[in-house]
Amino acid sequence: MLPVNQPSSSLLAALEKENVTEKDLLCVLNLDLNKDGTFGSSALALDSTHRRLYYYQESSDELSSYSLDILRDPYIDNFTSTNRILGMLHESDDENSPAITEIIGYCTNSCKRRLFTFITIWERFQKGNIVQENDPIFEQFNAKCPKCGTVYADQDVRVCEKCNKRKGMIIRLLSYFKPFKLQLITVLFCMVMSSCLSLLTPIVSGQILFDQVISEATYDANGVQLTGKMHEEKYVFIMVGVLVGMAVFSLFIGILQNRANAHMSTRVTKTMKNDIFRAMCGMSLAYFNKNPTGRLINRVNYDAVKIRNFYIDGVPHLIVNVLNFIGLTIFLFIINWKLTLIVFIPVPIIVIIFKTMLPKLWRAYTKEWHRSSSLNAMLGDSLNGVRVVKAFAKEAEETNRFYYYSGKLYDAHLRTHMVSILIFPIVGLLIGMSSTAIWGFGGIEVMGNRMTYGELTTYLGYIGMIFGPLNFFTTFTNLLTDTINSAERMFEILDMIPEITDAQEPVHLDSVKGEIVFNNVCFHYTPNRPILKDVSFTIHEGDHVGLVGHTGSGKSTIANLITRMYDVITGSITIDGVDIKNIELQSLRRNIAIVSQEIFIFRGTIADNIRYARPDATMAEVIEAAKAANAHDFILNLPEGYETPVGIGSRSLSGGERQRISIARALLLRPSLLILDEATAAMDTETERLISEAIEKLVKGKTTISIAHRLSTLKNCNWLMAIENGEIAEMGTAEELLEKKGVYYKLYTLQNEQMKKVIEGK
Amino acid sequence: MADEKLLNEETEEEKDIFYKRASVDLTPENAKFTASKGGLISLELTHPDGKKEFFERIVAIRAFPITDPDFYISIREPDGKNKEKGSEIGLIEDIHIFDAETVKLLNSELDRRYFTPKIQKVVSLKEKLGQNYWEVVTDAGDFSFVIRNSGSNIRTLEDGRVLLFDIDGNCFEISDPEKLDKASFKKIEIYL
Repeated sequence: MLPVNQPSSSLLAALEKENVTEKDLLCVLNLDLNKDGTFGSSALALDSTHRRLYYYQESSDELSSYSLDILRDPYIDNFTSTNRILGMLHESDDENSPAITEIIGYCTNSCKRRLFTFITIWERFQKGNIVQENDPIFEQFNAKCPKCGTVYADQDVRVCEKCNKRKGMIIRLLSYFKPFKLQLITVLFCMVMSSCLSLLTPIVSGQILFDQVISEATYDANGVQLTGKMHEEKYVFIMVGVLVGMAVFSLFIGILQNRANAHMSTRVTKTMKNDIFRAMCGMSLAYFNKNPTGRLINRVNYDAVKIRNFYIDGVPHLIVNVLNFIGLTIFLFIINWKLTLIVFIPVPIIVIIFKTMLPKLWRAYTKEWHRSSSLNAMLGDSLNGVRVVKAFAKEAEETNRFYYYSGKLYDAHLRTHMVSILIFPIVGLLIGMSSTAIWGFGGIEVMGNRMTYGELTTYLGYIGMIFGPLNFFTTFTNLLTDTINSAERMFEILDMIPEITDAQEPVHLDSVKGEIVFNNVCFHYTPNRPILKDVSFTIHEGDHVGLVGHTGSGKSTIANLITRMYDVITGSITIDGVDIKNIELQSLRRNIAIVSQEIFIFRGTIADNIRYARPDATMAEVIEAAKAANAHDFILNLPEGYETPVGIGSRSLSGGERQRISIARALLLRPSLLILDEATAAMDTETERLISEAIEKLVKGKTTISIAHRLSTLKNCNWLMAIENGEIAEMGTAEELLEKKGVYYKLYTLQNEQMKKVIEGK
Repeated sequence: MADEKLLNEETEEEKDIFYKRASVDLTPENAKFTASKGGLISLELTHPDGKKEFFERIVAIRAFPITDPDFYISIREPDGKNKEKGSEIGLIEDIHIFDAETVKLLNSELDRRYFTPKIQKVVSLKEKLGQNYWEVVTDAGDFSFVIRNSGSNIRTLEDGRVLLFDIDGNCFEISDPEKLDKASFKKIEIYL
């Protein structure tokens, strides 16, 4: 049985009643909706022995069965979040007999990849072809982690859950800090020191300076001296000196710690950002289509910084706070355990307040963040589209829109302030109350001689310190989840296996002769929406082929597949007889130059842009390429010639100028195979003619594929291919296609018609 | 040129090649919807000249599925065998001008197309590796799904409804988060 789904035992039991065994089945598809539109298990089974299709619904234990001679042309009705499987139910086994549309079953989008596969198998079976078990069609839902062999949970985002455990993440992040052992030790040492110092200061100022130096001598009942052991003026100076020294010392420790940190953190962020960008560049085009550029930029910029902050600010503070908290609690209990119990009375209240109120504050912050980002988005939108705004005189509306968003942000802002204004004073009040209470209870203790006055001040000093860690602990969990999310996003990119990778032992091609063969190629970007359906053709060495067809008919997809921007779903593409999946990606793309519809001019000079694919090209070569692309003249008219800076923020070029630069860029590569995807669409006919003649000379004898709407673009082609609805509708020379009166003829007549109207002045 | 001759000759045939159906306003007077044998919707359209046209199966699409599901419903020919796009037969401006039975028929089909189970209870919600694993009770039964990028895939509409989109592209709705039971609300609160 083909690996689509495993049949459930209840399905097999139901089939057994019909005398069908597992061996008869070609494949089984499990569906997750019942026919009445509720969630439930059902299944489709394709029986190749008896040529039947079974539909089984588990909840009602019903099995319906169709003969495949009567039920034909399966079709997936693609809904918003569900799919309906339809078929044509004929009256007899004659293909042309009257038919009604029959509902076969429903499923949610969760099943759509398997559904598509199932339907393909069915269609092929009906045509008499049996799909083999190793057909690449199964790869779209059976992609496995190359390390451990588990099937990915999300086939689009190929991250193995088994190999990436959450617990491992924090440890794995630490590996970035490995080269900084010395700095880490320094930082840790500094932290322990500063923690000790802050704990010692109240003792020096309270119990020593106050009790032993300033206070007069007192004795307890047994005559043991309690205070005033150093009741001399010089000790006052010494102790104040000690205190100042401690402050200075802690300042130096702070500086040392920050310096070590700064060293480490900037380097760690740099490494992380580099790693993320490198991994990102290795991703296939599909990844970039799915993820908006803004989000990717965010990942490179912010996630690394967030992680760094956690290790630089979060972790050290955690350690300091834990040490302080433990130390403080011990000291407090040693000095006076009864008072400490009183101090700890408000602690639970404060923790409760933090626990309940802080999430509110976080939510308010998140809201504020969202609103400020929608304000930014709106701002970017209207500033980028300022030309349109002005053209339609919409300045006032845009201003009002801005007012609306800034008003929203104001509300959110106010709310966060209101919440924080509420929380912190309450906490402050509680802390203040407990300190005041300590003055009271402590005063009684001092008066009863159970405590010295210095002990009380030390004690009060500690009280002030204990609420810091409490506050920190409640916020730490948030910091932690935030970081883990960032880390997950970072590792997702680092661990994701690009969809398109080199084969185990790729074939290196120094040069390409240029014979391209498509063997039964099927392709889709999203399951259920086929772009190419069973496309087969051969382009011989040196051919100049033109592709025509409507927008969305699949022309550009063919170009994308030849350069292996995407992999075919089924079938294969060979170049010079080698399957492109086995050709080293680098050498494949070095040999094919593509001028696509989407042109990108990088920031830099014009010469840099032309030299992009071959930075070692000489000036003479750059000029030659520019001349061929008919760009030389317009470039020389620019103030700095070939050294004119272009790209975002610099001089803007017209659409035709950009196209010519990108043609020059492609020609400079001296490709063995050239693909022009609407490369001259933005040019006037005169320029187009000049360019196509120049290109013709340059690529003489090399395979060229031209894709165009405008038929005049294709006049140099040896032969043409008309694509319609993902299939090759017709192939042949221009004359042959005109004879056929098909797609090409239609385009030809339409364009001629337009011309005629222009000439006649209608 | 020979092509020019071709051009001038082709008038009738051309019309056929370039023919595109003109969309009409559908009213109870000119459109009769019935359930087809296979459980789908058939349409009998009466043209202004009295000619009748029968469609064994039509496709109904809402122009504003989220905010105005009952208005501007496009009735189209199904896509062809080779996925050539079916063109619009007509537009229903307001579904309520039809009789209750037709409304029911059309809505049952439309609700299928815009299948959006309403979440009644959140049984469990766990976060792992940046993905949220949901287990819910909906008006269409129990279901579990996974949401990635909860920021952009959980959308709160202006009227307070919340739409959730899972990694497969399925859509779920929470009609009013405040009306969920307390335990469910607590689980989803931070995502709103």
